[in-house]
Order: sequence, then structure tokens, then C-alpha cells
Amino acid sequence: MSINLLHRHVLDDHISGFETDTNPNHLSIIRRPVIFSVLAHESRETAVAEALWNAEDVAPRFCSPSEWLAVSRTVGAGMVADMLSGIAGASFVDQSDGRVLVEISGPSVRAILAKCVAIDLHPEVFEEGHSAAMLCCHAEANVARTGADRFEIIVPRSLAGSVFEELMEMGREHALTRGFVD
Amino acid sequence: MASLITCPHCGTRPKEEFSIRGAAAPKRPSPTAKDEAWHVYVYVRDNPKGRYQEYWHHVAGCRRFLVVERDNLTHEVFGVTDAAEFERAGADE
Ligand SMILES: [Zn+2]
Repeated sequence: MSINLLHRHVLDDHISGFETDTNPNHLSIIRRPVIFSVLAHESRETAVAEALWNAEDVAPRFCSPSEWLAVSRTVGAGMVADMLSGIAGASFVDQSDGRVLVEISGPSVRAILAKCVAIDLHPEVFEEGHSAAMLCCHAEANVARTGADRFEIIVPRSLAGSVFEELMEMGREHALTRGFVD
Repeated sequence: MASLITCPHCGTRPKEEFSIRGAAAPKRPSPTAKDEAWHVYVYVRDNPKGRYQEYWHHVAGCRRFLVVERDNLTHEVFGVTDAAEFERAGADE
């Protein structure tokens, strides 16, 4: 079993001391997401991907042809592990303690992210439901479009502080606010 | 332009996401090959000008090794394939 480092969130220090109402452009830090890393065994890639995309309560995030993140904001790690162990040809490991999940949304979200990632986020290129590994604020991240103006970003825990500060800096001209969600 | 590489898995990406790992054309000798063969493979390399194939590791994306065929003079990119596919295609020949 992994030690639960999320008891105190890594971004607590970056946020405490301020109370703000949310603006249209807002950055939510998900306090306790469940994030599993899933790898497909050789030649089982398509079957594992299909099973992940059909799974309930879990959002799959594409990393590479044989690697995904399985993210859930609704069910616990135990349930996700049970579901994943039912997929033949897949290996998985709980990464919830090692990754930080933030959600950025609002009308200016693309203008903000244009300063953070070097890929085209036009809806015709990076459509809703699409996810990919990329550099975000110089850190390795998985970015997913979960709505027309909503993105989820997953970064390693050790880089979350600097990514968070940079996202807030880039969002300052758009009055980006931030806060935890449970 | 070689500053934009279209990864077959991730789409069009800036070159900063990649690490260049050298020429892809030289065939790696078998582990039991003679020292001479290994010497040639490791040290005796061409320094081509123009079109050639190169390993690119997509470090900040899918973390797959790719083979980028490009012109190192004009920076034109002719094609990008996954290195596993490149190996298979080479083995079939
Ligand atoms: Zn890639």
C-alpha cells in the first residue's frame, strides 16, 4: 500500500491565507483525486484501451500507445483497482499520491494555456475528450480537454508548486482565481 | 521546419519536447560480433549533409523512440515513424 501523502495537499502552502470568490476564469485543485498509471502488455494495447474507455467512473488519459492514466474524482482507489484488475493484459499502479490534478476553466482558458503549452488547443485539433502528455509550464504534464473551455492538467507532485505558480501568473491578466475542491 | 515534429502518437510538437539520439541507419551488430564491427558501429560514423534518418526520443510526450527522416540543411521533415515500426520494416527487407 502507498503512504497517503495527500493527507496534507502539496499545494496547501501555496494557497492558504487568502479567501477569494471564484471568477469566470478559475483554477480548481482537486484535493483527493484517484490517479492510476496503466500499462498494456505487448499486443494487448487496443483491448486495454477499449476497456478503459468503456469503464464507468473512470476517465482515461492517453499517455502513449501502451500507457494511460485512469483518473477518478468520484470513486475510491479500491474500486478503481478492482476495475483495473479485471482488464486482461494490463498492469497498473496507484499514483494518486505522486500526481496533482488541477482543472482550469473559463472563457479565457485558451489564452492562458497558450502561454503554458506549445501545442495547438483549437477545438478542431485538440477536441473535447482528447488528452495527451506534453510540457506544461516546462514540466511534464498530461493535459485533457474536458469541456469547450475546461481542461484538466496532471503534473508530478514535486513539480506541482512551480506549475501552479506559473499558471496563476499567466492567468493574472485574466483575473484567474484558485481554490481547492473536495 | 524541423522545429515542429509531428509525432505519430501525440501530434505536432515543438522540438524542445524531444531528445535527439543519433543516426538511425547504422545497424547495431550482434552482441557476439567482432570488436572491429563494434568499433565501426560506435566510432566510424558518417557526418551527412542533407536527407537522413535520426532517432528522436519524445521525452516530454509519449516517451517513444521515433525515427525522423529530415534534411539537416533545409530542416525539411519528410516523415516520422515509431522506432519499433522502423525496426520491423527493416527486418522485413
Ligand atoms: Zn509522442
